[in-house]
Amino acid sequence: MKTVVLGVGNPILSDDGVGIHVANQLKQKINDPNIAIDEALTGGMNLLDLLLGYDKAIIIDAVKIDDGEEGEVKRIPLSNFSTMHSCNPHDVSLTEAIQMAEKLGETRIPKEIIIIGITMKKLPCEFGEKLSEKIATAVPKAVELTLNEIKN
Amino acid sequence: MKTITIDPITRLEGHGKISIFLDEQGDVANAYLQIPELRGFERFAQGRRAEDMPQITSRICGVCPVAHHFAATKALDAAFNVEPTSTAKKLRELMYCGYIIYDHILHFYYLGGPDFVVGPDAPPAKRNVLGVIEKAGLEIGKEVIKHRAYGQKITGILGGKATHPVCGLPGGVSKGLNKDEVKEIEKMGKSCVEFAKFSLKLFDDIVLKNKDYLDLILSDAYTLATYNMGLVDKNNKVNFYDGKIRVTDQKGKEHVKFDVKDYYKKIAEHVEEWSYIKFTYLKDIGWKGFKDGKDSGIYRVGPLGRLNAAEGMATPLADKEYKRFYETLGGKAVNTTLAFHWARLIELLYATERAMELIKDPEITSTKIRNPVGEPGEGIGVVEAARGTLIHHYKLDKNGLVDKANLIVATTNNAGAINMSVRDVAKGIIKKGKVNDGLLNMVEMAFRAYDPCFACATHTLPGGMPLEVNIYDKNKKLYKTLRRNL
Repeated sequence: MKTVVLGVGNPILSDDGVGIHVANQLKQKINDPNIAIDEALTGGMNLLDLLLGYDKAIIIDAVKIDDGEEGEVKRIPLSNFSTMHSCNPHDVSLTEAIQMAEKLGETRIPKEIIIIGITMKKLPCEFGEKLSEKIATAVPKAVELTLNEIKN
Repeated sequence: MKTITIDPITRLEGHGKISIFLDEQGDVANAYLQIPELRGFERFAQGRRAEDMPQITSRICGVCPVAHHFAATKALDAAFNVEPTSTAKKLRELMYCGYIIYDHILHFYYLGGPDFVVGPDAPPAKRNVLGVIEKAGLEIGKEVIKHRAYGQKITGILGGKATHPVCGLPGGVSKGLNKDEVKEIEKMGKSCVEFAKFSLKLFDDIVLKNKDYLDLILSDAYTLATYNMGLVDKNNKVNFYDGKIRVTDQKGKEHVKFDVKDYYKKIAEHVEEWSYIKFTYLKDIGWKGFKDGKDSGIYRVGPLGRLNAAEGMATPLADKEYKRFYETLGGKAVNTTLAFHWARLIELLYATERAMELIKDPEITSTKIRNPVGEPGEGIGVVEAARGTLIHHYKLDKNGLVDKANLIVATTNNAGAINMSVRDVAKGIIKKGKVNDGLLNMVEMAFRAYDPCFACATHTLPGGMPLEVNIYDKNKKLYKTLRRNL
């Protein structure tokens, strides 16, 4: 079984880049030819391109929440994801991209797509390469959860 | 106008939030679209190596990495006082055509098109690319995917990576083209020309031949007579990669033409207390509030702005379409916002034809792809991002490190006009406090035409673009909220 692990976010937009911080740590812990670890600074259609051909995809990204604690790490199957959103007006969502690909007969879509989400209340709007204290503490938790997800 | 103060916290939200204020009669007094603005770039850039800026700035925005990459590279050409080789310029422009091809295809078929192909009144669940395929057929869906991928592939071959290019260097590019790559690009380019022609025909059949749509396009609510801005070549034809910035008036006459190094003499920025976005305007005309007409300095950029700011397209098929565009819509300038979509397809055709010209140029495989740089100084670069004029400005210290950085992005150039378009549509729909349920989509159509980039992160989380409209009564009390995807 081939798995792809993608850290998603913007590495120069402070907490937004948390998924990439997690992916970088995973690169040092995993050495398995059946597991690809990469980073993606993109969403929607471009993101789907990076998932094609794998059996399972794990996407690590910031998740915006209105209530609850920031810096928590949650495992969310893509199919349960209707209330979360992207904020990019010039792309379709990953779900929409997948629906479109399915309709056009794409056969390489992973059977299982899992989101490892790090919760945030506000979307970061300030440039920077460092994570805030609260979000930084979520990184080892997200690494742990992703490793478990790979093992299962 | 009464002063409106909105809690600064609400200014930071990462999605399009619209506030509509009603007057005594319950009609629209004003409306604002709040666009989140990324902050702190100048501080972030300070002290970094100049050569890193094309890579760093391509990460500013998940939407226009290629445009930022080349605006930065061109600013560095100027800052290091070096003229790129002729081949390097052509390679950059070719790559840029690839970017315009995939960006414009995505917008028309996935974002702007559904309103027309499926219909503006269709339920949101149908008004998306899947609805387009349902109506136009699976085969067309495959063509869309294929040609968008071709645009990306062309960009990728030249740029190293399609989404975040690594090729631009002051004085040139890091990688040339070999004969096999030329063949591959030529094949894809040819197919893209045909697809662009097909897309224009589709627009013709579905939109222009439908009287209801044509009436909607030409309606007052979607009309805005501002100045227009765009890059033009020496014959005043549209150019994405190089040339002078030309501004035309509401009738299409040249108002001013200038070199980008003088941008700060021509463009000024206005600040409103409710938004972090700085609204740009023409300095000589001045800021007169959110008004159109020749006494207001507000201008538009992007596909419609570019066509209006030019006198034609530099390739034969696109130029023919350009003429038809003005014949059909009543001469220059075309001031109807929904014509952005048609203009975008004419630009798509131009980009494909231009790509073919460049790939057939014998010089394209030359290995003279970089000139040596001079001493570091100050430089300003400009390109036409898919959504409008983009300017990068750097001051370097003697070690080639960034001392000062300033960017003017496309959506900032359009911000004043986008606000007015949203307000005008709201005015047409809300009367005496009655809010029509079609409001959300009509308002969205107004700003979607501009293809704005909300300068936000590359978040991938599923769901459509969230939208919230808050309507306030005459006492500024919240009267009604309409939401989607929140």
